[in-house]
Amino acid sequence: MSHTVLVCDDAIFMRTMISDILAQAGFEVVGEAETGSQAVERYKQLKPDLVTMDIVMPDMGGIDAVREIVKHDPDAKILMCSAMGQQALVVEAIQAGAKDFVVKPFQPSRVLEAVQRVLG
Amino acid sequence: MDLSQYAELFLAEAREHLSACNQLLLEWERNSAAREPVGGIFRAVHTVKGMAATMGYVRVADLAHRAENLLDSLRRGSAAASDELLQLLFRTVDALERAVELSVTGRERELDVAALAAELDRAGSRVAPPPSHGRGTPAAPLPPSPAEVLPPTAPGRLVQVALRPESPLKGGRALVALRKAEALGTVHAVSPPVAAFEAEDFDGRFAFRLESDADAAAIAAAIKRAGDVDQVTVAEDESAAPRMESTAVEGGRTRHLRVDLRRLDALMDLIGELVIARGRLNELAALRRDPAIDDIAIHVSRLSTDLQAEIIQARMTPVWQVFDRFPRLVRDSARQLGKQVALRVEGKEIELDRAILDELGDPLMHLLRNAVSHGIEPPAERRRAGKKPEGEIVLSAVRERSSVMITIADDGRGIDRDRVLERAKREGLVDAHAEALSDDQLLRVLARPGFTTAEAVTSVSGRGVGIDVAMTRLRAVGGVGHERYALPLTYVSETVELGAAPTTTVEGRDAIVLRDRVVPLVHLRRLLAVSEDAAPPRSPIIVLEMGERRTGLVVDGMLGQQEIVVKGFDAPQGTLPLFSGATIMGDGVPALILDAGGLL
Repeated sequence: MSHTVLVCDDAIFMRTMISDILAQAGFEVVGEAETGSQAVERYKQLKPDLVTMDIVMPDMGGIDAVREIVKHDPDAKILMCSAMGQQALVVEAIQAGAKDFVVKPFQPSRVLEAVQRVLG
Repeated sequence: MDLSQYAELFLAEAREHLSACNQLLLEWERNSAAREPVGGIFRAVHTVKGMAATMGYVRVADLAHRAENLLDSLRRGSAAASDELLQLLFRTVDALERAVELSVTGRERELDVAALAAELDRAGSRVAPPPSHGRGTPAAPLPPSPAEVLPPTAPGRLVQVALRPESPLKGGRALVALRKAEALGTVHAVSPPVAAFEAEDFDGRFAFRLESDADAAAIAAAIKRAGDVDQVTVAEDESAAPRMESTAVEGGRTRHLRVDLRRLDALMDLIGELVIARGRLNELAALRRDPAIDDIAIHVSRLSTDLQAEIIQARMTPVWQVFDRFPRLVRDSARQLGKQVALRVEGKEIELDRAILDELGDPLMHLLRNAVSHGIEPPAERRRAGKKPEGEIVLSAVRERSSVMITIADDGRGIDRDRVLERAKREGLVDAHAEALSDDQLLRVLARPGFTTAEAVTSVSGRGVGIDVAMTRLRAVGGVGHERYALPLTYVSETVELGAAPTTTVEGRDAIVLRDRVVPLVHLRRLLAVSEDAAPPRSPIIVLEMGERRTGLVVDGMLGQQEIVVKGFDAPQGTLPLFSGATIMGDGVPALILDAGGLL
């Protein structure tokens, strides 16, 4: 059984790229979300094995979404997607309950490494 | 990994985000104390930066990064939108738009944004530096060896960790490593304190004490699972070399499908051919009176209609994709002319065929510029006229049957009819003795190429090409047998018979009175300069309607309704400007499509 993934990013470009990387590695992308609140809602609905979460999103940001999801499911496996220069935000996200993070620009191998770490 | 497949997606989305930036900048300009627009611009620029970096467009990413720094300070600070700042941000968005286009076409090198980048940096340092995020502890210089500052009294084993020098965002990584340790026991005395992890210059070396039953090797292994760990020292025990993680790559799967518009165009063309073939099949079926052929013809008919609808739906695009660039355009034109203008856009979500929408962009742009330059008065003049100094232009899209009516209206000074009349008389466009211009005449005068006296504020309507244009075949008996014309059913409100309704004359034109409304008549024979001798005594009138305007078209006869495919029409020199296109009828003979909008 392949792992299921929920991909959260406000950019279709990013969602597509992450989805492609994960799908090519045999993961099943079961849903996408473009805002934090959508991410929370989809998580409850889909119960994915893994969530990739952009930090900066409209509506509800990624970090607040992490808090909400972890409140709902303390075992949620969330991988943050961050850009360079977001040290403080990444630290905050991990304190909020995210398991790991990858840094843009994405290299498929780095993304998959992080995913394995989170799921392992 | 091959990035070229993502280039178009990148371009489309980057454009969207930059267009959003323009909207938000306008919003900020209107309400300079607001913070939300800055936050939105920050997010959009941030997204563009991330995408550009991923595509390897270093210069775009760099420019976006500098803009982002400034925006980050702005959104956390309280600085109001100064004119200078707004100009800089507008220019930055313009530059990013250009940079994105150039990068996608492989011409990133042509980009010269050094001056702008420097300007952004200067502006960024002028705006008060943001308080650091979270707990806000400033980054203290780190001690040379974190272990030295550990309180000797803390329980547990000393664990020292060094992250790989190339590891990005070391603070985040350190925290992930700390979480791994916490899973094994209790962590004490983290040095430097966790708050220091938030500093951008955190060097990736930290230490802590861990109370745990796990042995040294297990602790080291657990911490290394945080990733990017160069070295872990647990008490006196040196750990093994970093473990390489293998990633299993299984068979790929495609989940997304992005379709080139040209593909859809090709499909459209094919379906057009199919509809024509279907028409011929229907005629054949009617001729043979064979129920089996009839059945198939009906089935094919239904399938091709569904197919056509699907493709049309796939091509539909909300008008905001074009409209969203107009507020900025109006603002810039207004500024240049020293006017204040707000553009209100209505019906953004209305969908149009992508190809038509693209065609609409330019004419709408000209009309909007016209409205700003000719329609809206300078603030002082508006005040004198008792209006508020800021003029308003409304751009709206409204669905009307199968058409979309796009209207541009302004609350400016309007059209100076006297000036238009004077000019029209001089050019011999209207009777020299005319006292006033009717709306019709006015429009006709204004729409003439090169007529520049007046302020043209009109509406443009776009009609869905390829939408099932049901039509009425018209026959005109001329010198050479029968001629058929097509008319889009969209505009046909009803048909009456000449003689059945009272006729009258309005301004020298024939008209009928229909339910207390005067409907001017147009005789198709006269229009086509065909002899009226052979005209049947009782002619049907097709009443065309668009919005409030109605016209009765007097024809010889009506032949029926049929779906046709509109073909592009290059009118030969000297052709009457009466036709909007051509089609091929079921029997393979071409027919011209009358321009209903023009007749109205």
